[in-house]
Amino acid sequence: MVSKEEIKHIAKLMRIEIDDHVVHIDRVQKIISYFDILDKANVESEELDVKEQAIEELRDDKYILYDEKLIQSLKNYKGSYIRAPKMS
Amino acid sequence: MSLRISALKYVEEIKNGSITAEEFVSKTIERIQKVDPKLHAYLSLNDKAIEQARAVDKKIKSKNVGVCIGMPISIKDNICVKGTKTTCASKMLEDFVAPYDATVVSRLKDQDAIIVGKTNLDEFAMGFTTEFSAFGPSKNPWNTEYVPGGSSGGSAVAVSALECIASLGSDTGGSVRNPASFCSIVGLKPTYGLISRHGLISYSNSIEQIGPMARTVEDVAFMLNIIAGIDSHDNTTVDNQKQDYLKEINAGVNGKKIGIVKEMTQEGVDKQVSSATNKAISNLEKLGASFEEISLDMVKYSVAAYYTITATEAGSNLARYDNLRYGYNFDLEGYEFNSYISKARRNFGPEVTRRMILGGYVPSAGHAGRYFLKAMKVKSKLTSEINEALKKVDMLLSPTVPVLPFKFGEKIDDPIALFLVDINTVTANLTGKPAISVPFEFSNGLPIGIQLLGKPLHDKQLLQAAYALQNTVKLPEVPI
Repeated sequence: MVSKEEIKHIAKLMRIEIDDHVVHIDRVQKIISYFDILDKANVESEELDVKEQAIEELRDDKYILYDEKLIQSLKNYKGSYIRAPKMS
Repeated sequence: MSLRISALKYVEEIKNGSITAEEFVSKTIERIQKVDPKLHAYLSLNDKAIEQARAVDKKIKSKNVGVCIGMPISIKDNICVKGTKTTCASKMLEDFVAPYDATVVSRLKDQDAIIVGKTNLDEFAMGFTTEFSAFGPSKNPWNTEYVPGGSSGGSAVAVSALECIASLGSDTGGSVRNPASFCSIVGLKPTYGLISRHGLISYSNSIEQIGPMARTVEDVAFMLNIIAGIDSHDNTTVDNQKQDYLKEINAGVNGKKIGIVKEMTQEGVDKQVSSATNKAISNLEKLGASFEEISLDMVKYSVAAYYTITATEAGSNLARYDNLRYGYNFDLEGYEFNSYISKARRNFGPEVTRRMILGGYVPSAGHAGRYFLKAMKVKSKLTSEINEALKKVDMLLSPTVPVLPFKFGEKIDDPIALFLVDINTVTANLTGKPAISVPFEFSNGLPIGIQLLGKPLHDKQLLQAAYALQNTVKLPEVPI
């Protein structure tokens, strides 16, 4: 079974705080244990279904200038930049 | 004037002048004000709806009006409507105002639909009851002690309780069909790629689709005619050659071969649901369809595969919610970058938090082979199995949900029990096939829906069969 420490570590990597939410850890453990049913599916030899799409079928890689109003709808911005906290 | 009329009847009555768009939309708003405090289908309303309807009435006189002619339609609150709040029923997006219209919304507006409001859902569409909405659950209009299904529960309630004529939901693992079944309306999850996802807030891009919800199969076809088709904003869309889904909807099922999926109709299915399924089979047989049992071995692993794949994609999609580009008022000062994001994300509800953790775990180094890769292989094998089955039969039949609607709080603390509610619906998503839920019967006042699942891009044939099935029963009127 996946350990509580492992779940806490993943949560930290996902930038999620769960220190005071024991219920999350219990449920995540339960769900991951349920996923173990996949071991019984006997699909090791199965080829993955990969879809191919030619580059010319993709839409044009066009540069569209953003609307100034978009920046103004942000909570924190300066000029045409998004404001963010300092990185340590 | 009755609010109970279908979309097609609405168009007819507007055209013959017996009602005006303004009258109908006004009456719809009155209805919402009367019943929604009990049902909580809507998260926000369009306060310009009546004014917009009045403008449509003027267009009718000038003969230059779209096919919806002012029809009141609601939109699930994870689909962008320009200038309105699009919250995904999350505290994280409580104040987010969409800067553009989703393609489906602009297509409806082009046809003079009136968007009356945005409907409730489980937060970020993750759930099957609306109990995970940060703003409180919606109630089932057939019995308000019961869940309406989800995640498009608000849409299903609004349609069922006559708070709009039709609605758009989104279906990642059954989120259109499940609430359609629980609220006794019709819900379609179209073939993957038939409807543009541009403007749908992403949850699990590789399998989710927007789907129309209405009180009749022909109304769902009417909606599909407007919103389906290729869109340059969504590369996964397919060209449907402007197919008319309403035309020949009464083609019937005579000579059609239908498969009964063993894994969706036997173990774990409620007695009453099973009996309704047998009755649906018998009704279709009387119309000339023939049936054979089909086994799809991978169905028993489909729920685990579904949650593994969706958690992985959700983990990636939700990473954009750092409260810097989208979010709520939460001051930056005094925080370091990572700690700010972690603190801001405390506004995610419990289910979203868990899915993010799962989404980090199952594709991570050391675990991807055991979970994500295996889930993708199950998806692949399930697709092969269903493709083989659909060579032998025209479509598949099962109950939409193996159980009856349940009471609030009954399953919310047991994640596995809740997951298994969608065992019959996830297959269509994992394999990209179209599937529809048709209201069919009631047991102790609670609705039961029947699911039909078809070949890719055979949505029209699926609607024809659904129409035939719909017409074999007469169901009661909503008691609210």
